[in-house]
Amino acid sequence: MLGQLDFSIVGPGLPFIWIGLLFSLKLTLVAMSGGIVLGTLLALARTSSKVAASRAAAAYVNTVRSIPLLMVILWFFFLIPLFTGAPMGAENSALITFTAFEAAYYSEIVRAGLNSVPQPQRFAAAALGLTKIQALAHVVLPQAFRNMLPVLLTQTIVLFQDTSLVYAIGAKDLLKAAEITGKNYNRPVEMYLFVALIYFSICFCLSTLVKCLQKRIAIIR
Amino acid sequence: MSMIEIRNVSKWYGQFQVLADCSTQVSKGEVVVVCGPSGSGKSTLIKCVNGLEPFQKGDVVVDEISVGAAKTDLPKLRARVGMVFQHFELFPHMSVIENLTIAQTKVLGRARDEARERGIKLLDRVGLKAHAAKFPGELSGGQQQRVAIARALAMDPICMLFDEPTSALDPEMVNEVLDVMVELAREGMTMMVVTHEMGFARKVAHRVIFMDTGRVVEEAGADTFFGAPTSRRAQQFLASLKH
Amino acid sequence: MNYHWNWGVYLEQVSSGDERYLDWIVSALGWTVAVSMTAWVIALLLGGVVGTLRTAPNRWLVIAGNAWVEFFRNVPLLVQLFIWFFVVPEFLPAELSRWVKQDMPAKEFFTATICLGLFTSARVAEQVRSGIQSLPRGQKMAGLAMGFTLAQTYRYVILPMAFRIVIPPLTSEFMNIIKNSAVAFAIGLMELTFISRQMIEESGQVFESLLAATILYTVCAFAANRVMAFIEARARVPGYIAGAK
Repeated sequence: MLGQLDFSIVGPGLPFIWIGLLFSLKLTLVAMSGGIVLGTLLALARTSSKVAASRAAAAYVNTVRSIPLLMVILWFFFLIPLFTGAPMGAENSALITFTAFEAAYYSEIVRAGLNSVPQPQRFAAAALGLTKIQALAHVVLPQAFRNMLPVLLTQTIVLFQDTSLVYAIGAKDLLKAAEITGKNYNRPVEMYLFVALIYFSICFCLSTLVKCLQKRIAIIR
Repeated sequence: MSMIEIRNVSKWYGQFQVLADCSTQVSKGEVVVVCGPSGSGKSTLIKCVNGLEPFQKGDVVVDEISVGAAKTDLPKLRARVGMVFQHFELFPHMSVIENLTIAQTKVLGRARDEARERGIKLLDRVGLKAHAAKFPGELSGGQQQRVAIARALAMDPICMLFDEPTSALDPEMVNEVLDVMVELAREGMTMMVVTHEMGFARKVAHRVIFMDTGRVVEEAGADTFFGAPTSRRAQQFLASLKH
Repeated sequence: MNYHWNWGVYLEQVSSGDERYLDWIVSALGWTVAVSMTAWVIALLLGGVVGTLRTAPNRWLVIAGNAWVEFFRNVPLLVQLFIWFFVVPEFLPAELSRWVKQDMPAKEFFTATICLGLFTSARVAEQVRSGIQSLPRGQKMAGLAMGFTLAQTYRYVILPMAFRIVIPPLTSEFMNIIKNSAVAFAIGLMELTFISRQMIEESGQVFESLLAATILYTVCAFAANRVMAFIEARARVPGYIAGAK
């Protein structure tokens, strides 16, 4: 069988696969930036002294984290049209779903990062006359983000891999594009192997980068 | 007859030399204290004696068995050499008595009851018989180190190695451990002790070895060493301890 | 919002046969539990071995262990599943290949189980390695100093403590494996996600269909959490505080 592998279809299939990869990357970047912003807000709400805010944030984070991503994808895909009254494309639905889903995971990372900043740092900021918001913006968050940068990136690698799950609602990402190409040229085996190689190359490079970063941050401390 | 013989041992970590041509010996029944500033290589040297730290040059001979030789059965040799560590290193998931019996049964092949009996006897000797069923985490540092000594003795060692046995202890617990060691020395146990406790050295050491930057700088009888150390580094070291 | 609620849908007959939707859901729950549990056993055994070998004083074992972990961690689970299902059978010897493709019973179940088990084994291996390496170095020395061989030192000293240290991270891996088992729908295993999609298609009751599957996933994950918490409590060492040295 090995001898019968024919990767010559990869060439003509590339433009189509490229479009799929671009969507996977777009989904990753949107969900990452949106997820980190929303996640930070959730983390701040959770650590705030306002009980209602903290409870609501905790409930959201714990609920989302206890459900398989695939189920969340289906929930959003079927429920959003019920509210808006109009069907929504799989791609847009995926963008919203992943942002909302990843926010829960990022918020746990940010919360750990906030906790990693020693309490006396806040006292020191307060003693200098900074307001709570100023202390957060100039003292606590910068330190927290430096500490959690490797974990944030690792989560983003996981997120990139998870984007393949939009398969369930038929959005055309990297995996779906490869599958369609494989069917069109009747070479599914080669296309699955090829797409695995792309995912592996990207994720392996990124995770090696994270390891280097971890070492550098460890030295700075 | 020498029990431990260290012959021209050198050791490198990559480019960095931690031991340089170290030689000494410990006779049967002798108590030798190894001292020196931190980073002098004394802890590394004592770990070479039972092969816990490999070395690149020279050899260590314990009871006429070469530690460096490839064909030496190191586990068998180590079973006959007792060792006490700075951080006790009791096994946290085993009760005190299990800590004392595990190697007796698994390494020496003793029957469980026999091992237990021996363990209880030794716990009694270090004054901790009542704590046999407790776990290490429930004992104080001084108590843990006494258990560690009993654990090593349970193997009926031909000699004992102590690697800074009191330096991780709170000051008020140092003496309860030293007392056990003094008693052991007086009974004629062959001992090699890395320590800063010069009071202990004065009381029981036959000889003192002073190390600095990976070398044996001075080696003398205890009286001579404390009375009139010859090297400048040893003089400085002793002076620094007095403050 | 214009939605027609129908909580009685679970007891209605499916349009394609004489079963009720409830029967579908119960059997789907069975598949989800079966895949997750079997894969978890595989993951624990393989992950334990690979993770331990990654701490061995042998360069080749370490490299092999690292390669194992990198390979399974850097390809999406769904892609791995397709490779096990569509690609691997092509590379088997002719006879076996034909049997797998045509006659193998419960093919979807076995494929999903192996895939999920190996995928999770890499994550377990990572936890086991870091658990072992978080133990103080002196513990290994103390074991060796008492005359234990390296194997005995692992058996009596290192692994029992490492096991206790990795229970909390393994708890979340156990919950993850249940959530991750949802991907098996993609190769047609009739587990919870597959059945909830099927139920939406046949009954049109989106909300009720998704809710049933979601609640059951959550219940399973919670049960897994309780089981691990029970083991953690049983394995607790008196006086030992995790992380303290």
